[in-house]
Amino acid sequence: MEVNVSFNLNGKKVSVTAPPAKSLLRVLREDLGITSVKPGCEAGECGACSVLLDGQVVTSCLVMISQVDGKNVITVEGLQKDGELDPLQKSFIDEGATQCGYCTPGFIISAKGLLNENPNPTDEEILEGVSGNICRCGAYPRIFNAIKKVVKKNVI
Amino acid sequence: MITESISKYSYINKSIPRIDSTDKVGGYLLYLTDLKLENALYAYTFRSKVAHGKINAIYTEDAEKVNGVKAVLTYKDIPAMNGYGAIVPEIPVLAYDKVRYYGEPLALVAAETQEAALEALSMIKADITPLPVIHSIDEALDENAPKIHDKGNIARHTVVRKGDVEKARSSAYIVLERSYETPMQKHMFLEPEGGVAFVDEEGAINVLAGGQTPYRDRIQISRVLGIPPEKIRVKNTPTGGAFGGKDDITVQIHLALLAYKTKRPVKLVWSREESGIAGFHRTASKIKLRTSVDRDGSLLSNEATIYLDSGAYQSFGPTILDVSIETINGPYRIPNYVIDANLVYTNNGIASAFRGFGAPESNFAIESMMNELADELKLDPIDLRLKNILKTGEVGPFNNEIRHAEGLEEALKRAKELFYRPDPTGPFQRTGVGIAVSVKGVGFGTLPEFPSAAIEIAPEGRVSIMFSNVDYGQGINTGNAQLVAEKLQIPLSQINVLHSDTKFAPDTGGSSASRSTFNAGNALLLACEKALSELKMEAASYFMTKSDVITYKDGYFYFKDKTVSIYELAKRLRFKGKSTRFEATLEVPRYTEAVEGTLEVPHMVYMYGVIITKVEIDELLGKIKPREVDFIADIGNVINPAIAAGQIEGGIIQGLGYSLIEELNYDKDGKPLNINYTTYVVPVITDSPLINVEFIKSYEELGPFGAKGVGEVSIIPVGASVADAVTDAIGKRNYKLPLLPWRII
Ligand code: FES
Ligand code: FES
Repeated sequence: MEVNVSFNLNGKKVSVTAPPAKSLLRVLREDLGITSVKPGCEAGECGACSVLLDGQVVTSCLVMISQVDGKNVITVEGLQKDGELDPLQKSFIDEGATQCGYCTPGFIISAKGLLNENPNPTDEEILEGVSGNICRCGAYPRIFNAIKKVVKKNVI
Repeated sequence: MITESISKYSYINKSIPRIDSTDKVGGYLLYLTDLKLENALYAYTFRSKVAHGKINAIYTEDAEKVNGVKAVLTYKDIPAMNGYGAIVPEIPVLAYDKVRYYGEPLALVAAETQEAALEALSMIKADITPLPVIHSIDEALDENAPKIHDKGNIARHTVVRKGDVEKARSSAYIVLERSYETPMQKHMFLEPEGGVAFVDEEGAINVLAGGQTPYRDRIQISRVLGIPPEKIRVKNTPTGGAFGGKDDITVQIHLALLAYKTKRPVKLVWSREESGIAGFHRTASKIKLRTSVDRDGSLLSNEATIYLDSGAYQSFGPTILDVSIETINGPYRIPNYVIDANLVYTNNGIASAFRGFGAPESNFAIESMMNELADELKLDPIDLRLKNILKTGEVGPFNNEIRHAEGLEEALKRAKELFYRPDPTGPFQRTGVGIAVSVKGVGFGTLPEFPSAAIEIAPEGRVSIMFSNVDYGQGINTGNAQLVAEKLQIPLSQINVLHSDTKFAPDTGGSSASRSTFNAGNALLLACEKALSELKMEAASYFMTKSDVITYKDGYFYFKDKTVSIYELAKRLRFKGKSTRFEATLEVPRYTEAVEGTLEVPHMVYMYGVIITKVEIDELLGKIKPREVDFIADIGNVINPAIAAGQIEGGIIQGLGYSLIEELNYDKDGKPLNINYTTYVVPVITDSPLINVEFIKSYEELGPFGAKGVGEVSIIPVGASVADAVTDAIGKRNYKLPLLPWRII
C-alpha cells in the first residue's frame, strides 16, 4: 500500500506517493532530490539526517512519511535567503567547522533549531543542543565556536 | 607560534576557509553515495554467518529465479584473480574454500528493485562447516590452535636489532619490564562505505566510491577483472570521512564486478551494520617492553615484543607492523635494542590502516614506559625526554641522520610551562596531568615513490591543479591550492582543483601516512616550475627578446614596460597546437635501504608533537573527564593554520575516544558485538575538552614551502598522556586501553 502525502518543503508545497512507513530521510533523498540529509546510521543515533519538522529538530530517519502530511520540513537547502547563506552557515565556514562535511548539514539544522527556540543559549545549552550529532572528524571545538559566534551576534 | 601577520607569504600561513566549504554548509556537495544513476541496479552482499569454517556449497539457484534479478555472483564468476589486499592480495573478493571472519562476503546480488534484491538475498543459502574460532592474539599463538591460513597464524614475524642489549641491561641503574595492551578501534566515519559503478560509452568501467588511493584501487580492480587498468576509472571523492578505513578496497571491486557482468549502472552502499562487520578497524596490540636506563636517565636499551592482531587477513598489516617497529624506540637515543615483531591472524574481522598506522599502539607502550621511568628515577618527565631525544645531525637508532629535531626540543621546553595539575572543580573529584611525545614519519619510508601531479593553464583565466590524493576532510585540496597560488602568485579564486580521479589526475598516490601535502605539494610545485619555464620562453617569443631578461610576478611576465599574462601565453601556446598542461614527477627523498628485518624503516622526515592532557576523575563513578589538552606541534611550515589545527584537534578527539571509551569486541562465535553508534560509543561534543594547539616555527627544506605533514601526529600520543594523567590523579598506573572506569578503580 502507498499513501499520498503533501507537505511544505523549504517553503514549497510538495506531494509524494510512498509506502506509509518509508522514512522521511529516504523520501527526501530518493523521491525529492534532497541529499543534504545524510544516512549515517538510519537508527536515530548520529544526527546526520536532522531536519526541522514544524520547527523542531528531528532525525528524519526515524520519521515515517505518513507522519509528515501537512507539516513544514526545513533542510539546510532551505536556510538560504535570496541566495544568501544563513549566519550559521557563514559562521561554520569562517570558523573552519567542517572537515569531511558529512555531519555538517545535520549540525547546522540542530543549531538552527536550538537558536530558534533559544536565541541566547549558554555555553552548556549550546553543547547540549548539538550533543545528539556525531562528528567523527572531531570538528567539535570549531563547531562550538561557530555557533557561539552567531549567539554573540544575536545578543548585540 | 606562527602569526599570520609576520608571514612573508601571500597565500600560505593563511587560515583560508576550505575551498569546498560553501558546498558543504549549503548541503550541495554530492558524496559518492549520494549519486543516483539512471537505470541503476540495487546491489547487496550475501555474507557468512560463520566466523571460521569450511565452505561446502553456496546455493544461488532460487535467488537467480527472482523476478527482476540481474545477477547473483559467487567466486565462480570472478574473471581473473580472486584476491585483493594493499600489500599481499590474499583477501578473497568472494570467499571460496573457507570463511575466516563473520560477515565475509560469499555472493553479490543486483536487481531492478530493492525488494527484488532483498528477496534474492534471502534465498541464497550457504553450507559451511564451522571450525573453532580464534578470538585473540593469545589464542592464535597457542600451539594447538587451529590454523586460520595454511601457513599458520603468524602472518609476519621479524626481528630487528642493534648493539648488545644484555650487556647494556646488566650495567643499568633501573630495568623496567611492562606489558601494554590497546584495543581494536573502529573508524566509524559518518558516511559508510559505498558508491556507484557504470560502463561508459567507450566501454570503460567507472567506479565512483569513497576511498583513499584511486590508482591502487584501479590496479586491484584490474587484477580481479582481468582487464587493463586503462579500461577502468576510479574516483574517490567526495568522501565522508576515511581515517585509513577506506585506504584498502571496500566496495570498489564488488561494484566493478557487478557493472562488468550486468553492463548496467549499479549502486552499492553498506549499511551501518555492514560497515561494522565487514569494514576495517585498527589492529589490537600486545606489547612487552623491557627498558633500561642509567642513573642519570640516559636510555641504555629497549627490548620489545610486539604482537598486532591483523584479523582474518593482511590488509596493511605488514607495513603497520613496520611503523610499530619504527616508533617503539620513540624519538630517543637508544644504542641497544631488540624488537621482535609479529603480525597475527585471528577471526576478528580484518584490521587495516587507521590514522597513526601502528604508531599509537607503540607510542602507548614507549611513552608510558618513559613516564614510569621518570617516576622511578625521580626525574621530571620532560627533563627525562630532553635528555634522551635525538638531536639534529645525530644518527638515529635506525641508522638515519636526524633532521630538524630542534622543533621537538622547543616543544618540550614550551610544554614545561603548560605542565601542571589543575584544581578539581568540586569535592570527590581528583585531577591529574600527563604528558607524551609523538613522532611519526611522513610517507612510505624507504619504499621508492614517484608521485606525479599536473597543472593546466586555461586561456580563460583558470589554473587547474591535478593530483590523485583524496580529500576526505583533511583540507588537502585547499592546502595544495594555496601552495600553487603561492608559487604562481595568482589569487586562489583562479585555481580549480581536480583530484582523486584517475580520469583527470596523474598518479600521485593516495592519502595516507600524512603524505598528501608533502608529495602532491612538491610534485605540483615542480609542475609549476615546468609551466613557468615553458611560458617564459613563449613570453620571450612574444616580447621578441631573450628569456633571461624577462621577469615574473603575480601571473604576469615583464620585459621593460611590456607585460603579458600567463593566460595570454596559454592562448598563444594552444594556438600553436601546444599543450598547456604541465606534469611533473617527484622522486621522493628517502634512504634507499631499509634496516635489516624491516620493509621500509626508516623515514627521512618526521613530524613531532608534545601533548599535555589534564583530566578530572569522579572518585565515586570512576568517570574520567579530559578537561584540557595542549598540543605543541612541529609539522614544518604551516600552510593553513586553521585547517592544520582542526586536523590536530580531530586527531586528539579520536585519540581520547581510543583512550577512554572505544573498544571493538567480538563474541564467542566471532560476531562483532558493538558496531553501531549506540553500542560503539564515540566522543560527542560534550566529551570534547578545551584544546590548545600551538605550532613550533619550523621549516623542512625537503617539503613544499617547508611543510611536512599533519594528519596523524596528534592521535598518536593521546593514550599515553591520558594514562599518565590518570596515574597522576589516582596514584596507580594502567597498562591497558581504553581506561574504562572498572579498569582503573
Ligand atoms: S541517519 Fe538518522 S540519526 Fe543517523
Ligand atoms: S566533518 Fe566529518 S564527520 Fe563531521
